[in-house]
Amino acid sequence: MILTGVLLAVFGLGLVGWFAARGRARLLYTGRGSMHSMPAYHGWHMALWILVPALLAWGVWSAIMPGLVEGAVFADPAAASLPTDPMTLGAIVSEAHNLASDPSATAFNPEARVLVEPIRAAQARFGLIGALLVMVVAIAGGGYGFTRIRADFRARTQVERAVMALLLAASLMAVLTTFGIVGSLVFEAGLFFKDVSPIAFLTGTHWSPASTMGANINDNFGAVPLFWGTIYIGAIIAMIVAIPLGLMSAVYLTQYASGAMRKWLKPMLEILAGIPTVVYGYFAALTVAPMIRDFAASMGMQNPSTESALAAGLVMGVMIIPFVSSMADDALAAVPRAMSDGSLALGSTKSETIKKVLLPAALPGIVAGVMLAISRAIGETMIVVMAAGAAANLSANPLASMTTVTYQIVQMLTGDQEFNSPKTLSAFALGLVLFVVTLILNIVALRVVKRFREAYE
Amino acid sequence: MTDTKLTARNVDVFYGQKKAINDVSIDIDNGIVTAFIGPSGCGKSTFLRTLNRMNDTIAGARVDGEILLDGENIYAASMDPVALRARVGMVFQKPNPFPKSIFENVAYGPRIHGLGSSKADMEQIVERALTKAGLWEEVKDRLTDAGTALSGGQQQRLCIARAIAVSPEVILMDEPCSALDPIATARIEELIDELKESFAIVIVTHSMQQAARVSQRTAFFHLGSLVEYGETDQIFTNPREVRTKDYITGRYG
Amino acid sequence: MSKSDWNSPEAARRIARRNASELRFKMIGLGAIVLSLSFLALLLVIMLKNGVAGLDWRFLSGSDSTEATVAGVWGATKGSLLTMGVTLLLSFPMGVLAAIYLEEFAPKKRWIEWIEVSINNLAAVPSIIFGLLGLAVFINTLGMPRSSPLVGGLTLALMTMPVIVISGRNAIKAVPPSIREAAYGIGASKVQTTFHHVLPLALPGILTGTIIGMARALGETAPLLMIGMRAFVATPPDGLTSPSSVLPMQIFLWSDEIDKAFVQNTSAAIIVLLVFLLAMNGIAIYLRNKFEVRW
Repeated sequence: MILTGVLLAVFGLGLVGWFAARGRARLLYTGRGSMHSMPAYHGWHMALWILVPALLAWGVWSAIMPGLVEGAVFADPAAASLPTDPMTLGAIVSEAHNLASDPSATAFNPEARVLVEPIRAAQARFGLIGALLVMVVAIAGGGYGFTRIRADFRARTQVERAVMALLLAASLMAVLTTFGIVGSLVFEAGLFFKDVSPIAFLTGTHWSPASTMGANINDNFGAVPLFWGTIYIGAIIAMIVAIPLGLMSAVYLTQYASGAMRKWLKPMLEILAGIPTVVYGYFAALTVAPMIRDFAASMGMQNPSTESALAAGLVMGVMIIPFVSSMADDALAAVPRAMSDGSLALGSTKSETIKKVLLPAALPGIVAGVMLAISRAIGETMIVVMAAGAAANLSANPLASMTTVTYQIVQMLTGDQEFNSPKTLSAFALGLVLFVVTLILNIVALRVVKRFREAYE
Repeated sequence: MTDTKLTARNVDVFYGQKKAINDVSIDIDNGIVTAFIGPSGCGKSTFLRTLNRMNDTIAGARVDGEILLDGENIYAASMDPVALRARVGMVFQKPNPFPKSIFENVAYGPRIHGLGSSKADMEQIVERALTKAGLWEEVKDRLTDAGTALSGGQQQRLCIARAIAVSPEVILMDEPCSALDPIATARIEELIDELKESFAIVIVTHSMQQAARVSQRTAFFHLGSLVEYGETDQIFTNPREVRTKDYITGRYG
Repeated sequence: MSKSDWNSPEAARRIARRNASELRFKMIGLGAIVLSLSFLALLLVIMLKNGVAGLDWRFLSGSDSTEATVAGVWGATKGSLLTMGVTLLLSFPMGVLAAIYLEEFAPKKRWIEWIEVSINNLAAVPSIIFGLLGLAVFINTLGMPRSSPLVGGLTLALMTMPVIVISGRNAIKAVPPSIREAAYGIGASKVQTTFHHVLPLALPGILTGTIIGMARALGETAPLLMIGMRAFVATPPDGLTSPSSVLPMQIFLWSDEIDKAFVQNTSAAIIVLLVFLLAMNGIAIYLRNKFEVRW
């Protein structure tokens, strides 16, 4: 397409401008101190003047061109015979667009074929106009830039200012992402809460979004069983596995292991954290869950399900071990050596020192680490999707199948979906709850860690 | 009334390949304060830490030679470092109270060693130790406050009380006043003077004035060797070695 | 307590008991590590046992199929490569530039703190939330094509960028001020100092962090599930906008197949994915060891 071609032309022009400006600036050089900026900076200054306005123009034109094409096509006599029903019309137009770019594409509506020629013509016409416009802007920008090349011109300052703008824009991307997350979650969840009352959502105990039956839609969206499943799997079962194992690993690595041992064991433990969650999920479903089901059956449980809170929680706990371990490692390392020296000098053994002095001193850091671990566990998706189950059970039996917030988000948004139904929108409400809870856990934990570090500095 | 408490014979200390202490032999007596002086990095602190095997806690540290506590080799296999450190206590450069209450700081040692079985026993041990460390009057009404909430000087006296509470025979002090202001320092020095009645005290200091004020015997270390050891008065007024004299008169250090 | 008490049988017993508890504690610690690592070993052994027989050229060069014996991973691998390409192209420059700005130029002002808080929190936001963002913004609002490496890459780039910013800042922070002073001292501007001296010295650290972030993105499934990258793709994607799958998604899809023959495929695909991840982490460790300068 011509607009893509013109982009290349603009970059080429930028390159030419860079060399031209640098060459001209070199001619101005008459000796030490005769110029403010090195010639290359004049080159960059010129290139920026060519590229930035032209790219802006390109962006604007790309955004408005489809509208212009549309207008021209509908004004074409060929469009007069088209049906007016918006649904069919939309389908026809989109098929015509496909045909225009790829003649071998299939079209179900024969009317689409009539539109192909007008679309091609309009695209060619407006593409050419846009390309010319962009080139004019590029040349004008370059011309202006070129006239500013003088010995005393502060090209470097100008270029550095542009660099700063770029740096700042990159940093603002993070804020933009945060706004994007909050904005989209709040907006979509808001649509959901138009249909379902927030109180029913947060306090109801019955979750069956698929059923359209029932007098009151509120009765089908009680998310408490989901919250309970999430907490039971992520914050209870997983932590029962991860806290003792992670903490004791950290104690051994920091207090007992020799340097060489630590050098080998620590990265090996970190491999556990690097394994993709989908692999853990498969491991849970393939190996751990059947083991637990057999165990449940041997305990006399009737019809135990393959999916259980225990299977998901256990595997999630294993996944979190290195995380807890490295947080505890940091917390223990932050306790000054003088503290354990003081205890050892009194004649306490190493384990007494660890249990009575080091761990209590490191406790705030460890607690913060556990909070971050919980936040990670409750946001974990694949393990529960593959091993926990879909049934919204409000049960304390670890062998029962249980569902979680993340599981339901996946459930609501995969497969065929009508976008604005309460069922799909509920995923965003769940996402909002998940986001807020993990955010609070993270903020509190980071505060605690910060204060803890300051206490020992 | 001087009798020998600790005897070191031909002690070498290595950190990995590096020799930090070279062939030191010294007798440390009961009932007096012995000061180790010398320029920084001369090995005086390292040597001090061999006397209760605190160097064991540093990876790669090795001690050769013999150190006897009442005639018993403290590096013998039969000597448990845990029991040894209960007999040879230590106070560190920077006050290092545990992040626990004042009471618990002092009671920690007796508790792990099984001294004092009842609550009343423990309270008595804590009171006695705090009194001996001259801190009782200042803290008796707030024993449950955090030890870290005390002033620097008080913290260091708390650490001394903590060491005393285990009823050691020797107390090693590693520059115990270097982090304190002059008033708190004076207070600790007075305390050291009182404590020498009950314990053999070894103090490492880089302040010659402090060594002269508190000690009866002084050992001068330089580059990992013991250069001169004698009565404090003699060391400061009439050193036998040129290096000692140069250090005392401020030629280097 | 007099010195003789330490030699009494009672004291000896007490010490023996304490030493026994010391040993026990130490063994519990070692046991914790051994247990954790045996989970890892079990997982790897099971995947190797199930999957190694399925690793042949046809599997590595084929695409998805309903027939377990003809299904392969090349289609998903190509999807992963395209997606990672988009992610790297976006998150690396953005992350590095943001790290430079925050570490070297940002004024100590309130709104800068907002950026920092934002980045730290984004690094800990559950990945599935990024999927929701991608679905709401890229697909529903901007109308980009579903299931495409373009949208997948964009979504993962937003997720990876904070990781790169954080590791980048640490790497830049580790460059000693004396280097900057030396550059200022010969009349370099702040921008020149940063780009000519600080950045090259920090680059190995930044690259290490980037590779680790990319490895995490490569193994990510949940956000891609949200943007519909679970298409059945029987031919490898031929561009950034064509429907595509990725390796972890292929694993997820096959794990759901009822046909037992897919167990081998799933495990073999896991081996392929783990080999990629291992290679990336190996490169990261190599870079760190080779170029890390202790100041």
